[in-house]
Amino acid sequence: MVKVVTMADIAHCRRKFMDLQTEVLIIGGGATGTGIARDLSLRGIPCLLVEKGDFTSGASGRNQGLLHSGGRYAVNDPEAARECITENRILRRIAPHCIEPTDGLFVSLPEDGPEYRANFIRACGAAGIDTLPLSPREALSLEPRLNPRLIGAVQVPDGAIDPFTLVVENARDAESRGAHILIHTEVTDLIRDGVRIAGVRVRDRITAEAFAIAATWVINATGAWANHILRMAGLQIGLALSKGSMLITNTRLSERVLNRCHPPASGDIIVPNDTVSILGTTSLRADDLEHYEVTPEEVTFLVDELSRMIPDLKGERFTRAYAGVRPLLQSEEAGDDRMISRGFTLIDHGSCSGPEGLVTITGGKLMTYRLMAEKTVDFICERMGLHVPCSTHVQRLPGAGQGHTLQDRLLRLRRQAPAAKGEILCDCELVPREAVDAILREGKVRELQDILHRTRLAKGTCQGGFCVYRLLGLLNERHKADVSGGSNLILKAFLEERWRGIRPVLWGTSLKEEELIESIYKGLFNLTSGEPVLPGGGGA
Amino acid sequence: MKRFDLIVIGIGLAGLTAARTAIGMGAKVLIVGRGMGALTLFGNTVDLLGEIPPETDIAEGITRWIAAHPEHPYARTGWEGIESAIAAFRGLFPPPYDFTASGQGNVLLPTGAGTMRPTWLTPVTMAAGAAMTPAETLIVGFRGFKDFQGDTVSLHLKCRGVTLSLPRYGLEGLSAPALARLMDETSFRERVGESIRQQMAGERFIGLPAVLGLREPAAVLKTLESVTGARVFEIPVLPPSIPGTRIFHRFREELIAKGADFRMGHPVSGVMVKDGRCEGINIQNPPLVAEYRADRFILATGRFLGGGLWAEMDRIIEPVFGIPVFQPEERGKWFGERFFDPEAHPIHRAGVVTDADLRPVDAAGRVVLANVRAAGSILAHHQAIEEKSREGIDIATGFLAAKRALAS
Repeated sequence: MVKVVTMADIAHCRRKFMDLQTEVLIIGGGATGTGIARDLSLRGIPCLLVEKGDFTSGASGRNQGLLHSGGRYAVNDPEAARECITENRILRRIAPHCIEPTDGLFVSLPEDGPEYRANFIRACGAAGIDTLPLSPREALSLEPRLNPRLIGAVQVPDGAIDPFTLVVENARDAESRGAHILIHTEVTDLIRDGVRIAGVRVRDRITAEAFAIAATWVINATGAWANHILRMAGLQIGLALSKGSMLITNTRLSERVLNRCHPPASGDIIVPNDTVSILGTTSLRADDLEHYEVTPEEVTFLVDELSRMIPDLKGERFTRAYAGVRPLLQSEEAGDDRMISRGFTLIDHGSCSGPEGLVTITGGKLMTYRLMAEKTVDFICERMGLHVPCSTHVQRLPGAGQGHTLQDRLLRLRRQAPAAKGEILCDCELVPREAVDAILREGKVRELQDILHRTRLAKGTCQGGFCVYRLLGLLNERHKADVSGGSNLILKAFLEERWRGIRPVLWGTSLKEEELIESIYKGLFNLTSGEPVLPGGGGA
Repeated sequence: MKRFDLIVIGIGLAGLTAARTAIGMGAKVLIVGRGMGALTLFGNTVDLLGEIPPETDIAEGITRWIAAHPEHPYARTGWEGIESAIAAFRGLFPPPYDFTASGQGNVLLPTGAGTMRPTWLTPVTMAAGAAMTPAETLIVGFRGFKDFQGDTVSLHLKCRGVTLSLPRYGLEGLSAPALARLMDETSFRERVGESIRQQMAGERFIGLPAVLGLREPAAVLKTLESVTGARVFEIPVLPPSIPGTRIFHRFREELIAKGADFRMGHPVSGVMVKDGRCEGINIQNPPLVAEYRADRFILATGRFLGGGLWAEMDRIIEPVFGIPVFQPEERGKWFGERFFDPEAHPIHRAGVVTDADLRPVDAAGRVVLANVRAAGSILAHHQAIEEKSREGIDIATGFLAAKRALAS
């Protein structure tokens, strides 16, 4: 791993936390983990969160960004549907800046039939989800790209949610209330003290420094990685890992979330997200949590299947494919992963013949992260004998009230005087150099991907083909000594990571653009798989 | 309706070379293109085959290489064909803005990523880059010009670097063409030279982004060298490319002077084929569709970027004539698992296969259209990006295609 900040920054950060003690140690910087950190902090309980990558490195950052109405679950899993609509309303209140309230349509095609539609409307009613039945003509006037053969649609309060902002805001709020958070810090072992877990051993993944953190409680909020942590205590829970693959288009295909109105299946949803749309999803068993790819077959399947809802989808430009791994709680009966409950579970290992002081929270979904955190912290409070109620459902996140849509970004840019605008690093997404400078000044980012996570750099049409070269120039300017000789290694690592997302969608216009990017980096800049050539002909 | 001896489709370096060669042979030529051609994106120097080590004699190296790569476009032209085509190219660029080889082998020049890159012919504005030594070189970037990161270059090359501010010009709009046009003004380049001179600490070489003027680059170079007292060289930047645009303009100027017809900015919308021959093409210029007829045609439309090849979800096609395209069997095999795979991605070998006369053939080796030839990067069985042969293939096959077309 190649770093982009100075050794001095890291040493400073490390000294503060070396061999620490805390009340509650949380493992995992996804929505659940940061949600727990915020809930604990709001209730005045000291905590420390460790995350082996950056925030949202797992399923929290690799989903569809869907603010579920619960409609998808209404027919098959009424309890999940009720949880969704309750949390949907709470999130709109506490995190309006992470949400685009687009609404959603459940679209019935002739092959879906009217019966499921009638069931759907009934089930939504029972779960407390508002529905508005639309005629084909009404649906087409709202979403002109829909298949004109549709037999009807039902509008529900779906929306789009930005998981990264949500998680970072939870983390930021927790930190402002005294929580400590260490990213790029991996748990290597659980420390036992007789029948209790007394803390964890961790390793900084960038500096390789190892240290210990003592804690009264250890919460395993690692999602799909839950068994990875539990193995350190000789434990295991029944978790099915299900890979879901998604595609991103270059433009926004619809104004609303589009769902097929039929039993949950693969390839049945299109979620608008800022300037693009996200198409999903597949459901395949995942064996390896660290290495999984989107296959050409999955891509073809998604495009074919979703072309039923939007017939001219095939001509669209796709900019990227990605996959996430859902942690699904294993039920007794085998079968389709979609039939496994999307519910969550909270396991107190001490009460089921494991060591005391260790709690696992897993399963669930992004929509219920807050509820999962609430239940976890309720349990910890109960065991600590504290009677402090949860307030995360009423306390708004710190950035609430601040717009984050394209329109807001353009307005902010327009309001600035020309001289203050400065250089635009990313022409696709209009990211000014100043935005990166501000993140660097905060001093929390450790590597290139951390910067990319926190801005819209590399998220646009060229997927970083142009702006990352510029970003590295900026980093070289700021940290000359530290990245000397290394920034082309960072650049090459970035291009490899980018490749994982781009390779599955290379045809048509994307492939054309890729020839440009390859011509720049391998042709013009002569970056190769081998060692660089230096002036005078010697190798580096 | 006009009738031509030859219609060239494509205005990249291959198409321009073919058109110029044909005009030189007295033919009446039409050249059509829908964009500006890859020259204006990446054109800087003239590569023949970068993978031949600098210490190897290029003629010997390429001759040996052709023997080992019998399907490569160079196997159609041979070393002699490359040599005469390159000589003709050089004839178009008399001093002061001339292209030269520095010896018998490839030469290494610095890039915008601070790497060294092999090439064959170098324009006068880049020549000193081959002689630079890190201790004696100052790399100069311009604040606000984001497509050349001077600190990246100087750190990797282990040179000293400075970033100059150009206060009169805001930070937002500094593009390579804007800078190049400013450099064409004598007073501007004198001031830039003076700012550089003030930053120097005894360096003998100055490396600058490749924006040293569009109209009179040699004069820009001369000014900067006389003000700084050092040897100045250009370093290639992110697209668009100013040195490539110079090549494009020089060709266009020559073709217009010699009476070639141009149709730029509109795509070929249809072709008229009869009895295994192409009789004419349609060019869409809404609301009109114009018809142009010729005895011969050269297809030099480039690869995917230029529109010469197009990838559907399940296959690669040639959109103008529907000529069969040699390609990997399925989409999953187009690209390797890693971006920097040691082997070039299989899709780069895809393209149009031809007979010795550069006439496209089908899988059975039969000529598809008797009076159509293909030239440039659309041809199959090369890996121009990795092997660094883009300009060489364009020039050598464009030259040969025109010669063969007019001999028929």
